[in-house]
Amino acid sequence: MPLINIAGSEKFAYQLKPSSETKELAHGLKLHSINAADADSIDPLTYEVVRHRLAAIAEEMGDALKRMSGSVVVTDCNDFGATILDECGDSVIVGLYNTQLAASVDMAVKWTLENRGLNPGIQPGDMFFCNDPWVGGGLHQNDATIMAPLFHEGEIFGWTAAVCHQVDLGGVSPGSWSVEGRDVFWESTPVPPVKIVEGGKIRGDIEDMYLRRSRVPRLIALDLRAKIGANNIAQERLTKLIQKYSAKTVKAVMKRMMNDAENRLRAKLKELPDGEWSSVAHQDSFRSGDRNVYKITLKMTKKDDRLTFDFTGTDKEVEGFANCTLAGLRGGIMPIVLTMLCGDIPWAPGGLYRCFDIISEPGTINNCNFPAGIGKASVASAWATQNVVSETVGTMLSVHPEHRKSLMCVCCGTWDLALLAGVDQRGNPFVTMVCDSMAGGMGARVDQDGVDTGGLNCIPMGRVADVEINEFSFPMLYLWRREEMDSGGPGRFRGGAGGSSCFIPYDSPIGGVHLVVSATGKALPQAAGLSGGFPAGTQHDVLLRSTNVRQLLTAGRIPGSLDDLDGTTDVLQQHLETHLNDDDVYYTHWQGGGGYGDPLLRDPILVALDVAKQKVSKRAAQEVYGVALAENGTVDVAATDAARKALRERRAAVAVN
Amino acid sequence: MNFDDNIKLADDGVSTVCVHCSEVLGNVSTGSLKNALSSEQKSSALGPGIRADPKLFTDREIVLRQLFCPRCLTVLATEVVPSDEGGHRGWKVFS
Repeated sequence: MPLINIAGSEKFAYQLKPSSETKELAHGLKLHSINAADADSIDPLTYEVVRHRLAAIAEEMGDALKRMSGSVVVTDCNDFGATILDECGDSVIVGLYNTQLAASVDMAVKWTLENRGLNPGIQPGDMFFCNDPWVGGGLHQNDATIMAPLFHEGEIFGWTAAVCHQVDLGGVSPGSWSVEGRDVFWESTPVPPVKIVEGGKIRGDIEDMYLRRSRVPRLIALDLRAKIGANNIAQERLTKLIQKYSAKTVKAVMKRMMNDAENRLRAKLKELPDGEWSSVAHQDSFRSGDRNVYKITLKMTKKDDRLTFDFTGTDKEVEGFANCTLAGLRGGIMPIVLTMLCGDIPWAPGGLYRCFDIISEPGTINNCNFPAGIGKASVASAWATQNVVSETVGTMLSVHPEHRKSLMCVCCGTWDLALLAGVDQRGNPFVTMVCDSMAGGMGARVDQDGVDTGGLNCIPMGRVADVEINEFSFPMLYLWRREEMDSGGPGRFRGGAGGSSCFIPYDSPIGGVHLVVSATGKALPQAAGLSGGFPAGTQHDVLLRSTNVRQLLTAGRIPGSLDDLDGTTDVLQQHLETHLNDDDVYYTHWQGGGGYGDPLLRDPILVALDVAKQKVSKRAAQEVYGVALAENGTVDVAATDAARKALRERRAAVAVN
Repeated sequence: MNFDDNIKLADDGVSTVCVHCSEVLGNVSTGSLKNALSSEQKSSALGPGIRADPKLFTDREIVLRQLFCPRCLTVLATEVVPSDEGGHRGWKVFS
């Protein structure tokens, strides 16, 4: 069925409003506020003490989530966000976890203020659940948010919010990644803000409605309590902070943090020349069987102290599960603003958002209407938005002699989804997302290589679970997890290497596991380079059926490559849902980071070291970097000069003008 | 002013030149890289990082496009895109 807008859905398509307007629309609610002079009058010492305390509270929220959650995605991989917001829902601080998530919570809080004040009302001890990305709070339905108002003397002083990736909230496919889905009705049902905690107690009716949809309701119930706990801890700490310093002082610091972030980003933008930077990010395939390629285009304009992100020209929304909402688009911008422009500026998105405008046409792949499919939004169109913003901001920064050091080429072009489901070795049903691609290759810098398997710039604290934790928790056995040769984008400075994992189903009492695969970047690379640097390598996933892996293991041999295995080999399409049998082997290879500058300008000694460390193959050393190596691995200078001359001549030969 | 690793503004304030050989590449008002050499090849020309033939995954032709300095042949820009798409990458610096 084609995508047809649903009447009434516009209520949930939140468009950000100024705080003054949110205050007007917050019917029936008293919001704590101070005047501008109060924010300016705070003394520097108190400001720094309270500011750092707020940062510590956001970090403590993250610690609480990790301690209480039962999901490896949260406890070991840090795929969650924690935020403290002011009374109008502007984000004062985000923790160093998933900044995509934290950057979109403001929308959900503002929507709640504007729509829930009278019915059912917002009272002390209440908390609201939301996983509707049109409202905000997360980028796809798996991003389930719990947000809590903090009351002081009968007024809403501020909000705290915790959001985690939940491993399964229903939908056609396990993990809620419906690879054959065509619209949102194939996916987990988005839930706009509902009061799930009332007066400090979980509402059983709402919890039942929430958990009923999941294949792993007990785990989801535990994560729900982890998020409630994180909010409780934050609220206890904030209340003590208010008791110690006064509500007026704490609020003054919160406002000042946002003002400081805004002023300092504006000052940095003023140091950069005015101009326009344009780029494009591609994604191949939006659902199983789809063989098209889609684009997100961006013209970023910098004028004086302001940025405009204009996405005009982006492709229309598509049947599939890879569109994203406005929350995803904003979630794609903010991680780059934070990491490239705000390394020395407080991470207060409420202030930073004031420094830029967004132009985007509703009904496009990164600002889609209901009911376009968004089950993969966070790591599809939101991620691609991040890629294109990364390119434009990086190219802008490259002009400035000092700020250019903060640019980074595009990191790991997309998420490599491998989702397992079935019965674990203890006989319990399970669903999990293998988060190994959290170790993506970082983009190259202007003066150094990207960090190999260093992570993702949208989750500064992201990490991979130990192989042993995955094997202990789920019925799988790794043959290897390692960095992959030639996966980092070649350049004068090389993009960080991506990696691969290879595993088999192991020890499930019913045999095998169910597998859902989704990863683009196979038809074309998604982590672009800058200044002539080459993009990272493409995504590559392979499924081997009916192999001899068990015989090899029984004989004491651990396969070191796919060539060591017998069986039938399928290079996988972008999306697949299938069953892995006990003799099957799954190999998944995620992307590295883009390179910076011409590979022929790379120091040949660095190339030789890369070959020695198996970051770069001898073939790439010769054909891409033009570096000839002697038998002992050292650089053959004369042969290298000749090889580079030949490669330059080839460039002239293939030129069309 | 250097625009990136390879391109800078000439002393005349309008021409863009190659950092490595001083060849004039274009003009900031009419096209910063209009004198650059351009090529379009199969994406496999990027080397072993392209793990499989794009035809396995899409019906659209995927190509590698590059721009080079006409004198020293330094690569100035690299992208892998569908061949039926026009160029979307570029920059203009006003001040």
